[in-house]
Amino acid sequence: MTKNRLEQRRTVLKNIISTSTLALVAASGLLLPQRLLAHWPMDAFNAQTIEDALMALLGHADVVNDSVVQFKVGSPPSYAVNGASVPVEIRSTLEEIERIIVLVEKNPNPLAMSLDFTAVVNLPFKSMIKINEDSLVIAVISAGGKLYKTSRMVEVDIGGCG
Amino acid sequence: MGLEAKDRIRVKLKENETSVRLLLAHPMHTGRAKNETGELIAAVFIQDIRCWRNDDQVLTIKCGTATARNPYFSFQLLGGQQGDKITIRWVDNMGAKGTAETIVR
Repeated sequence: MTKNRLEQRRTVLKNIISTSTLALVAASGLLLPQRLLAHWPMDAFNAQTIEDALMALLGHADVVNDSVVQFKVGSPPSYAVNGASVPVEIRSTLEEIERIIVLVEKNPNPLAMSLDFTAVVNLPFKSMIKINEDSLVIAVISAGGKLYKTSRMVEVDIGGCG
Repeated sequence: MGLEAKDRIRVKLKENETSVRLLLAHPMHTGRAKNETGELIAAVFIQDIRCWRNDDQVLTIKCGTATARNPYFSFQLLGGQQGDKITIRWVDNMGAKGTAETIVR
């Protein structure tokens, strides 16, 4: 009797140990790919609003409206015939720029691009973006731990996200 | 026939900076456009572009679908001299990769 019960106890213990190790392995295995994927901030790019995108990217969304950022969208400025390629140009007198983020308010996913700067990179930065409809285009510059924001209203004749 | 689609870099040495221009050959499908038969074209877009000068990584660009077709970027690097090697690499969401390099003269 006692022997039987002891054996039972042993198997139960064994089972507990093996399931718990399995669970640990599974947990660590599940965590790993997430960390690997983190180099492309999916949450931020899939966010539907500007606040969500900034939150996911930077962890906070306290931005200072500032004119130290010169920002041009479209040519002629504030107007684009074809929303599929709208030129953007960002200039600034700020120093120690860590990051520049370009957002288009009315796009299905507002975050267009995020640039990680090092000390040797200098502005102006130019690129082309897609704009779906008439919308505010926002440039956020992160420098010295602060966020500076400038926005421009852009009119688009043909939407560029179709 | 049109020009062969390939990634291009142009660099120009200025007084105390190097200007870099990139033109990547990529369709940048957003996943919302439709083809002739009305089917959605799957999203294919560049996610990550990195730029090196010699052995130092100088710039990382993360793109969403809102970057225009055949992405174009232009920026300046402080300093620089003849013989610097500028390298870029990109990866899209399907895992396709591209690379281009040039030497400053």
